[in-house]
Amino acid sequence: MTELISEITEIVRDVFGDDEIVLTESTTAADVDGWDSLMHLNLVIAFEGEFGVKFTTSEISTMKEEGQNIGTLAALIASKKG
Amino acid sequence: MTVKSKATSVPDQAELNADVADIRQSLSPYLSYSDATAIVRRLKKLRKAGFKSGVRTKLSILSNTTSSQLASLIDAYLFAYNIDVEIEEAPYGLLRQQVLDPSSELYSAAPDFVFLASSYRDLLKTPLAGDDKETVDAALEETVSEWESFWTLLHDRLGCQIIQNNFDTPPWRAYGNLEPRFAGALGNYISRVNQALCERAPAWVSVYDLDGLAANVGRWNWSDQRFFNLAKMPCGPEYMPRYAHGIAAQIAARLGRSHKCLVLDLDNTLWGGVVGDDGLAGINIGQGDAEGEAFVAFQSYAKSLAERGIILAVCSKNEDANAREPFEKRSEMVLKLDDISSFVANWEDKAGNLRRIAKELNIGLDSLVFVDDNPAERALVRQLAPEVAVPEMPVDPADYVRVLAEHCYFEPVSINSEDFKRTEYYRANAKRDQLASSAGDIDGFLKSLDMRAWVGPIGELEQERSVQLIGKSNQFNLTTIRHAAGDVDSMRADPNWFTCVIKLADRFGDNGLITVLLAKEDGDALDIDTWLMSCRVLKRGVENLMLNSVAEEAQKRGLKRVTGTYIPTAKNVLVKDHYASLGFEQVNEAENGTTHWSLSVDSDWAPLIHHIIKENT
Repeated sequence: MTELISEITEIVRDVFGDDEIVLTESTTAADVDGWDSLMHLNLVIAFEGEFGVKFTTSEISTMKEEGQNIGTLAALIASKKG
Repeated sequence: MTVKSKATSVPDQAELNADVADIRQSLSPYLSYSDATAIVRRLKKLRKAGFKSGVRTKLSILSNTTSSQLASLIDAYLFAYNIDVEIEEAPYGLLRQQVLDPSSELYSAAPDFVFLASSYRDLLKTPLAGDDKETVDAALEETVSEWESFWTLLHDRLGCQIIQNNFDTPPWRAYGNLEPRFAGALGNYISRVNQALCERAPAWVSVYDLDGLAANVGRWNWSDQRFFNLAKMPCGPEYMPRYAHGIAAQIAARLGRSHKCLVLDLDNTLWGGVVGDDGLAGINIGQGDAEGEAFVAFQSYAKSLAERGIILAVCSKNEDANAREPFEKRSEMVLKLDDISSFVANWEDKAGNLRRIAKELNIGLDSLVFVDDNPAERALVRQLAPEVAVPEMPVDPADYVRVLAEHCYFEPVSINSEDFKRTEYYRANAKRDQLASSAGDIDGFLKSLDMRAWVGPIGELEQERSVQLIGKSNQFNLTTIRHAAGDVDSMRADPNWFTCVIKLADRFGDNGLITVLLAKEDGDALDIDTWLMSCRVLKRGVENLMLNSVAEEAQKRGLKRVTGTYIPTAKNVLVKDHYASLGFEQVNEAENGTTHWSLSVDSDWAPLIHHIIKENT
């Protein structure tokens, strides 16, 4: 899981163009400056491309809601990668 | 916890220029959405640092889907054409209102271009199942007339040019394979609307083939419904760069920035193999061989471009006579010498030769597209003639047509009878006078290649490849003596002989063993019996590295001179002055043209300069 979170961190840094972003399991979308709905889609597209997974419409929209964090995202990606 | 964005530092001028060149060259239509948006961010930074350049123009985008991502990507692709565009995006979903209301933001923005970014969802009327032909025809008329009236309104009020999407047929087909038979079927209807749009578009409207793009990338891929439903994106995000690139090419074409001339390398670009080494019969072109057929298809595509007015030129490292021979004597060649308006085959660097071609044809360097299979040649041209468009070519010639076509370099605005005559015109005007080639910084280029070499005697590992090269090299071969494997074995065992080979790698990959030298002690001299090299690495400094190692060997053996011989053949005129260029003095010349050369290697002799790092010692 730690490995997956560091991969996710790399992608988020790439998409935001900011090498200093630090993510942990408990980081939420609201904790990261500029994680708005457009950035969210950019991230989703990057995750799909990098991990070779496909999210459902509802997964995409709930991902940044209350109660979701980088830990739940990592678990979702892990379950899709099989 | 809050994560802060880091402060952006201001780059200096040199960094800025390098960044500009790098961004321009990175903007291929094949970028993934993430990579393309990363470039958009870099471009933003550049502009923040105060960078401005290029032709200024203003574009308004009207769309009933989200256009913000598309807008910044169009901006980026126009930047690659050196066009600085100011984009106004009309509020989402107000396409019709913006056009109709004379007080809308659109009209106060006063753009040079209006892009009507429509999709099939914007069709005014769509037929119902069971509609008869007359009802469908009436719906079609109403739909097309609406867009026609928009064009007129926009043109009257703004005097602008217009890019209009045609309609992308959805992938689902309610009527299945009967779709094209029923006037009321959506697919059938859309194809008729698209046809009518093209027929009725006036000269100042470009109809962009969105439907063609959707078909090319796959209609299900194109219409990724998740992103439409979530964010009203006009297409699957991975295809957004292709879409933006296509629109940018249309705008560039209308600003006169389309490319005019396709410059082709020969060996492994127009045919398989190296004509100078493999001979006229040995090159691969024509039916009966899978790769030979791919080269035919590529030539046919180039020919079809030429037939509609694109100029063709050749830029090849070859003897001129060798380079022309396949055009004259191989019937499988689709391209003939008559199709080529400027033909440059020599051993000079290609950046200089491209400048010469542009000058001969009297067109700008930035109108050239250069196609070459060799990554090192492409890199040299990108570095020393950055104005020239140089597509990254695939390894497989079967994909050449696709890659060249998908770059949309030759987007025409209109085609008339003049275009069909143009090739003739350029050919007549091409002057063959030698031009001083401004080479640019070759040393800088060679350094940037990051070349690393293994230099050593022929061992077990080197034996087979060395014998093969001795058997087949023709062009860079000083004596063309074909030693057999057994001969090479005995030389390796005989201390009077010195054998040396070089394996070369650079930042594009490993070139393998590319040069062989065989020399024998003869009195006070080390006499070079054989020196050959693959032309692929010509003018990279490998010759100098090899001379240094044979001269050092002579010194080690206490000899005073290195001597060499040039025996002319039909194919090796390339190396006629080889020894002279390395500082040898001519000793004599025989009647048959054979020359003998000598180089003194006393303590005054200094090693020749090159930019190759020797990896073994």
